[in-house]
Amino acid sequence: MRYYESLYIVNPNFEQDRLDEVMKTVTDKMGEYGFSIINHRLWGKKRLAYAIQKHKYGSFILLHFETETVENLNQFQRFMILEKPILRNQTVVLDTRPEVQKEDEIVDESKEAVASSDSGSEKLEEQKPEEETKEVVAEESGETGDEVVKEEASIEKESVEEEISETVEEKVEETVEVEEKEEVQE
Amino acid sequence: MAFQSRRKFCYFKENSIKEVDYKDVKLLRRFVNDQGKIMPRRVTGTSSKMHRKLVRAIKQARNIALMPYTNISTES
Repeated sequence: MRYYESLYIVNPNFEQDRLDEVMKTVTDKMGEYGFSIINHRLWGKKRLAYAIQKHKYGSFILLHFETETVENLNQFQRFMILEKPILRNQTVVLDTRPEVQKEDEIVDESKEAVASSDSGSEKLEEQKPEEETKEVVAEESGETGDEVVKEEASIEKESVEEEISETVEEKVEETVEVEEKEEVQE
Repeated sequence: MAFQSRRKFCYFKENSIKEVDYKDVKLLRRFVNDQGKIMPRRVTGTSSKMHRKLVRAIKQARNIALMPYTNISTES
């Protein structure tokens, strides 16, 4: 038995009724091809990393299924591409049988997903800085002593370089003046 | 001047993660830079075995629009 996971993105403007319709057509087609479905649920409405057919958001639907033959997989792939409400789909082979999710869990998760999709971007933004600060703190605590020494050294270097460049410029100006004087004399 | 080298370690080995899931975007984001490029193994310290799995997962996530191929267009 081979196990597959298919994730597909449906038009974000579809509401629950039309989403169910799309899921039903997919389910029917799976039965036609002889695949048995393990899980088929809405993963949530998410922001896409890049626009697909000018859509910025998409409803992600996760589908786990198992089959003994690989004959109809190409046809399934073709069906998913031709289906208009489906913006993008990807099927991946799984090594082990995925766990069957219960009805209650699915309802809870979909509610959470909807809630998170509303404030998802904000949450991500909130979480990210925290992580970064943690990392920064870790780095600093690891090598504070060395870094201070390095900074001091770099400051010293800069000041020395500035002095050198100033003196060089002065010399250049002097030589230019001398040359001009010589020309005048000639 | 003595440089104290930062210890590199395999994130997956440290946290005993055996498989990389392409749907776990939060994890995958650790291993790409701001541009969305996959960071080299010499920087992240990931073991060669897990890096191969990681790269595959990132590419799968890109295909299904969970991660960006490049971040240049989204910034503007």
